[in-house]
Order: sequence, then C-alpha cells, then structure tokens
Amino acid sequence: MSTQSIAFSAWQYQGRLWRKARLWFSPLVLLLIWFQVCRTGFFPEQILVSPGVVLETFRELWVSGELQEHLGKSLYRLALGFVLGVVLGITFGVGMGLSKTVERLFSPFFNAIRQVPSIAFIPMFILIFGVEETFKIVIVLKAAFFPVALAAYDAVKGIPQRFVEVAKVYRLPTRHLVSKLVLPSTVPPILTGMRLSLTRAWIVLVAAELLAADSGLGQMMEMGRQMFRIDVVMVGVILTGVVGFVLDRGCQWIERHLVRWNT
Amino acid sequence: MMKPARRIFGLLTGLAVPLLCVGAWELASRQSAAHAWAFVPVNEVWRSFWALLNNGDLALNFLASLRSMLTGLILGSLLGIAVGALMGVSRIANILIGPLYHMVRQVPLMGWMPLMGLWFGTGTFSKNLMVVVAVFYPMVLHTYEGIRNAEKHHLEVAQVFCFTRWQTFVQVSLLDALPSIFTGFLNALAFAWVATVGSELLFGTGAGLGSLMLIAQSASEMEVVIVCIVAIGVTGCLMNYGIGRIRKWLLGWRYM
Repeated sequence: MSTQSIAFSAWQYQGRLWRKARLWFSPLVLLLIWFQVCRTGFFPEQILVSPGVVLETFRELWVSGELQEHLGKSLYRLALGFVLGVVLGITFGVGMGLSKTVERLFSPFFNAIRQVPSIAFIPMFILIFGVEETFKIVIVLKAAFFPVALAAYDAVKGIPQRFVEVAKVYRLPTRHLVSKLVLPSTVPPILTGMRLSLTRAWIVLVAAELLAADSGLGQMMEMGRQMFRIDVVMVGVILTGVVGFVLDRGCQWIERHLVRWNT
Repeated sequence: MMKPARRIFGLLTGLAVPLLCVGAWELASRQSAAHAWAFVPVNEVWRSFWALLNNGDLALNFLASLRSMLTGLILGSLLGIAVGALMGVSRIANILIGPLYHMVRQVPLMGWMPLMGLWFGTGTFSKNLMVVVAVFYPMVLHTYEGIRNAEKHHLEVAQVFCFTRWQTFVQVSLLDALPSIFTGFLNALAFAWVATVGSELLFGTGAGLGSLMLIAQSASEMEVVIVCIVAIGVTGCLMNYGIGRIRKWLLGWRYM
C-alpha cells in the first residue's frame, strides 16, 4: 500500500467519523439549550423540567417496576393484535388475489372500510367491546390488518404470469414453483406491508391507551398529563419514540436478511 | 368496456357482503335489549342521521373539522416546503435540521398529545398544531427528496445560462421537485384528516366530528358514532379522489 492510499483511507475514515459526529451535533445543541433554559428558571416546573429530572424520573419508574409493567402491557397488546391482524390480513389478501369471486365479493367493502382512519373506530369499538383488553387488541388488529392485506393482494396480483406459464410448460413441480417463483415475488412486498402495519398499529395503540386504559405507556402519559407531571409525560414521549424506532428498524433488518436468503 | 349486464352483476356481488354485514348487525340488534344497546337497529342509525342533518349538528361539526384540517394543511405545507427546500439547498441546514427532524419524527403523532395538552392547553391551538405537525413531516421529506433528485441536466443548463442561486432554486430545483411535493401533499392530506379526527377525539374540546363522536360514545349513542364514522370515511374518500384529479390536471404535462 502506498503512502498516498494510506493517506487517502485515513482521510476517508475521517470523513466517515465526521459524518457520524455531525449526526449528533444538533441534538446535542438542543440538549444544551434545554439545560440552559431550565437553569434560568424562566419556566415553572409544570411546564418544563430539565433533562436531568427526566432521567431521574426514568430511573425511578424503572426501579419501582412501573415502567416495565406499562411497557410490557403495551407490547403484549401490540404483539397479540399485530400477529392476529397479520395472519388474517395475509389470508384475506392472498384469497382476494387468487380468487376472482372473493375479489368481486369483498373488494368494495374492503376499500370502503380502508378509507376510514383506524382512530375513528375507537369509540365504536369501545361501545361494542367495552374498555377492557379486547377493545385494544381489536383496534390493533384492525390497524394491522389493512396494510398487510393490501400488500398481500398486490403481491399475489404481481406474480409475473409469464413466468408461471413457463413453469407450467416445463412442468415444474409445485414445490419448486412455490419456492422459486411464488415466495420470492410475494414475500418482500408482504414484509414491507407488515412493517407499515406495525408502525400504524403502534400509533393507534398509543392513541387507544391515551383514550381509555388502566395500564400501558399511553395511559402512563395521560395520567402524567392529568397530574401535571411533565417529567412522566416526557419519559413516555421519548419511550414511545424509541419503541417505534426500534420496531421499524427491526423490521427493516428482518426484511433485508430474509430477502437476501430468498433471492 | 364491460357489458352492462356484467357490470350490474359485478355491482350486485360487490354489494352482497356489505348488505350481509348490515343484515347480521340488524339481526344482532334484535337478539335482546342488551344487544340492541351496542348494535343499534339500522333504521335508528338512519333516523339519527336525518336528525343530525336537520338540526345542523352534523354540518356544524363537519365544518369545524374541515376548518381545523385546512388551517393545519396550509400552515403545515408552507412550513414543510420551506424547511424541506432549505435542507435540500443548503448542506449546513441539512446537517443542522436533518438529525433533529428524524429524531422527532419517531414519536407517534398521538404520543405528543399529552405534552401538547400540558404546554398549550386542550384548545384550538393544540388541535391545529397537531395537524400542522402531521402535515409538516411528509412535506419536508418529499420536498427535500424532490429537490435532491432534480434533473442534473436542468441544473447544468441553469449554470450555462448563468442563473443566480435564487433563479436556479425557483426555476429549476423547485419546479423539478413539484411532482414529489405533490405526492407529499397527497400523503399529508390523509395524515391531516387522521390528525384532525384524532386530536378532536383525544382532546375532546370544541366542535368537530371527533368531539361529536366522543360525546356520543360517553352517552353510549352508537347511532351517532356510526354516522360520524361514515362521515369521516366519505370525506376522506372524496378528498383523495379530488386531489388525484387535481394532480392529473396540474401535472399532466410532465407525463405527455
């Protein structure tokens, strides 16, 4: 390796470091401003608390186990509703994609319901299912169902017909038809649909918990709001963001790896 | 073109499932008084719809929601385009704003509500702010990407003609970004409507379809809730359709 190329790679490394560092620049500045504003004592404690207090509250909630309980409850509801919604959504979407009769029967109804935001269904579900667990799981299910169903439907419709015909001409065994053609062309769009479902489901669940719940992250925030505990609210806001971020990134990671295996 | 007989048949099969659902609903409502409480009879929904229409409640709340949405849509779009364009044009702005934007965006919109309620109260300002934020996100993203993906050739032409930076920005970058900005607007419209209904539902103050629904829910008037859901759905549909037409009309020249 010549000196020049070593110098170049060092420069490249520095460039990468600089790019990483600058990602943190403005958040750090904001944090600093937040600290300073709290120092001046311009805002009362009910309006703004310093980052240190938020961290302390986080620690307190964690040590008392309250936070884990809320988080666990929320994640449990999300997981159950999401799994049910995804299973139903894939079944429904594939059914609609495969059968013309099913498509004709259900697609107008499906498209009409799809237009209504999930949040608008919260009052209706509360009246039907009460404010207990069932209602939250059903609302998550509803939110998760539609993006996945739509993605599965589009994916099945999008299987290249010419390839299917070629496979039929060559009398490819069904096993290979599925593994070489059907799965590779349907799994990636369905996974993307699932990621969208998960994000939507999380948003709707937080809204449902804000509105009516006895536990969960949303309820913790709503309680904090009513008690003017801005530190609790902030812990909740940050945590909802982190959970949403982790879920989305996790899905992206799974998507990348699964898709790589398949192709 | 399909034959008329086939089209009618297609329409009928499409209506079969919704009618079946309504039938099942009606059947459920006739089981017992307890069932009729949750599954209100269909004709009662119909009657409540006419009542709400005649006494002006529906129009009043609908217009309030629409106004809240439009306010948020206009302010959020302008703000989003401005910030997105700034990020697209200036590297420094991108470094400063980009990470913050992506960080804040991770929090689900409804998650901000308790904080906004504490800071700004539960009145009109908070509700409008929620819609502005909901519109702001997609507008920034699409404006930024539109400007970043502007045709290089167009920028070169601008350079040849010695355009000033401002001229290049307005006449090349922004124009090239228009379709992307419009896509963003289309997304933003859906988000704005969700945010409007959601904020009304969660704050529960003032007029609006969401507030009407919340009040109806606490009074367990399922028929009013259903009328609201249908109104929200139909409005969403119409807006989507309308903006699609406008998009075709405005940007049709690009695809010629």
